[in-house]
Amino acid sequence: MRDMVEHMEGINRLMARYGVKFGIYKNREFHEQLFPFDPLPRVIGRDEFLYLEKGLAQRVDALNCFLADVYGEKKIVKDGVIPEDFIFSSKGYLPQCEGMVPPKQVYSHISGIDLVQAKDGDWYILEDNLRIPSGASYPMIARELTRQASPRTFMKNHVADNRNYAGMLKEVMNHVNTGGINVVLTPGRYNAAFFEHSYLAERSGAILAMPQDLYVENNRLYYRQYQGKQLQVGTVYRRISDEYLDPLCFEPGSLIGVPGIMDVYRSGNVALVNAPGNGVADDKGIYYFVPQMVKYYLGEEAILKNAPTYLAFYEQDRKYILEHLGRLVVKDVSEAGGYGVVFGRDLEKEKLEELKRTIIGDARRFIAQEVIDFIDLDIVEGDGSVPRKADLRAFVLCGKETKIWPSGLTRFSRNPDSFVVNSSQGGGFKDTWVLSQ
Amino acid sequence: MGIISIEKADHLFWLGRYTERVFTTLMTFFKYFDQMLDMDDKAYQGFCEKLGIPVVYEDMDDFIAKYLFSLEDPNSVYSNMVRAFNNAVILRDELSSDTLSYIQMSLDCMEHAKGHANALAYDLQPVKDYLFAFWGCLDDNVEDEEGRNIIKCGKYLERLDLYMRLGFSYPYIEKEFNKFINRLHKIRIGYHLTEVDRLTEVISLKEGWTARQQEALNALWNIF
Repeated sequence: MRDMVEHMEGINRLMARYGVKFGIYKNREFHEQLFPFDPLPRVIGRDEFLYLEKGLAQRVDALNCFLADVYGEKKIVKDGVIPEDFIFSSKGYLPQCEGMVPPKQVYSHISGIDLVQAKDGDWYILEDNLRIPSGASYPMIARELTRQASPRTFMKNHVADNRNYAGMLKEVMNHVNTGGINVVLTPGRYNAAFFEHSYLAERSGAILAMPQDLYVENNRLYYRQYQGKQLQVGTVYRRISDEYLDPLCFEPGSLIGVPGIMDVYRSGNVALVNAPGNGVADDKGIYYFVPQMVKYYLGEEAILKNAPTYLAFYEQDRKYILEHLGRLVVKDVSEAGGYGVVFGRDLEKEKLEELKRTIIGDARRFIAQEVIDFIDLDIVEGDGSVPRKADLRAFVLCGKETKIWPSGLTRFSRNPDSFVVNSSQGGGFKDTWVLSQ
Repeated sequence: MGIISIEKADHLFWLGRYTERVFTTLMTFFKYFDQMLDMDDKAYQGFCEKLGIPVVYEDMDDFIAKYLFSLEDPNSVYSNMVRAFNNAVILRDELSSDTLSYIQMSLDCMEHAKGHANALAYDLQPVKDYLFAFWGCLDDNVEDEEGRNIIKCGKYLERLDLYMRLGFSYPYIEKEFNKFINRLHKIRIGYHLTEVDRLTEVISLKEGWTARQQEALNALWNIF
């Protein structure tokens, strides 16, 4: 590891050279900045990864079953496992997707599952991201560059190669392809994750498409070539949110969508990766029910635990939340990216009372969780290292099989007092090593 | 590469133009810079007039600072470098990350030199080196000829335009004209044949082309 630290400057130079950046809007202006990289990786042992692999595959398989059920027969509701209101009042539930069956019946092709490891070594799932989870490109390129900058480190350690992510992504896109090319659809240059869109397109061999490059004709989706030739599109790995994807189906004012794409999708003439409507399954409220989903659909006990969670929607839970608010972390289910997260311990009495009133007034909007004292990872600071809170986003890819990428995005907080690790909140990232022996 | 949208074709073309604009104007800047050191501190005025950009600079120092590094000056080398980058960055899947990295490094070098440059020619030399590397990497990494032809069509159009404005001698003009026409015939973008004929006619006058310089420039500007 010392070798990596010694080469930190070289690694950062390479990161700058390859434009490893993310975008952020400040005062309505777009700024691009380098994603702070720490050279000390998170290391996961082989056996530990095998355990995580099993648990993650199980969880995502159950979530895929849930999505098929919610937009199909709704057996889980009929059997009373999840209350009906809870599903249909979710912002992520899209009635427009009712009855739609995606190609090969895969809903969440790429899932980003956020986990933390508690100090006792147990892993807890914090969040499921089944819409357009981002972040895989950063450890991918970081590994590429650290191998160049510090080759000896990789001679001495047996680290599973993570540079196959693009190959895994391509396999998934090919598996669901309905006939035609694969494209990565980006809203454009000024999207926060544009680096990732363009890098994944390059590495997976897909075409990076802007919304204006795609058009619908005769219920097929085409890529507009400059010579005027038609080229059919079979898979769209779209990095545009559901609500902006098709102005004829969702938000009519969207200028970054492709008019008519949902009709093509409904007819089975194009695969959308991930399927629209997945938001109902990664709703922070639905998260509470995932262990029950595992049991219901797969007949198994969930391998990976949820963080202890309370739904303000349920009277008993709400009572608990209000009584213990000072030690819980409260999350607004309609927010993402680290926004809408409040730690009760950080609030003055008056603010705490205000939050209680808000929870009582709009119970469906909030969940509360016990604060898990998750482990710190060392990051390099000055000539030494300091401990910081870090989570792990694991990537699960569903094509012919459900596969776990042997790596992940480890995000850390740069603020010593903070548990919030999101890049939009100033966090950095590390590579995640899975030891191969 | 090989599947190119209208939007991408446009970016490829302008990437060629802006990289060339940065390269040639930077190279020419240093010829005038050398004159300004101890021969003619107003030489920049002639440079601007030849390029057809307004002489809005107070003096030599103002010209050096703004023409090289000001983002507020739309004609500055830096402004053109930013435009080159903005066209390149959305073409990563076409160009490859390796090829794109040379544009990123050119831009970073300009940003670093801004305010830090003591020996301008030395500090900005890497910009020219990276652009050379970019073109080399493009030829080496990008398999598809169509995309390369579009970039080079933009590049040679820009070079011919600048060489004609800056009064380069006929052999240079002829060489760049031939390179441009070669690429023009290979791309599948519509253009005005009459303007190409008009330009060809003027260039065929050899050294005498200068008598019809403006006509040649007009023809070049109206080809697309």
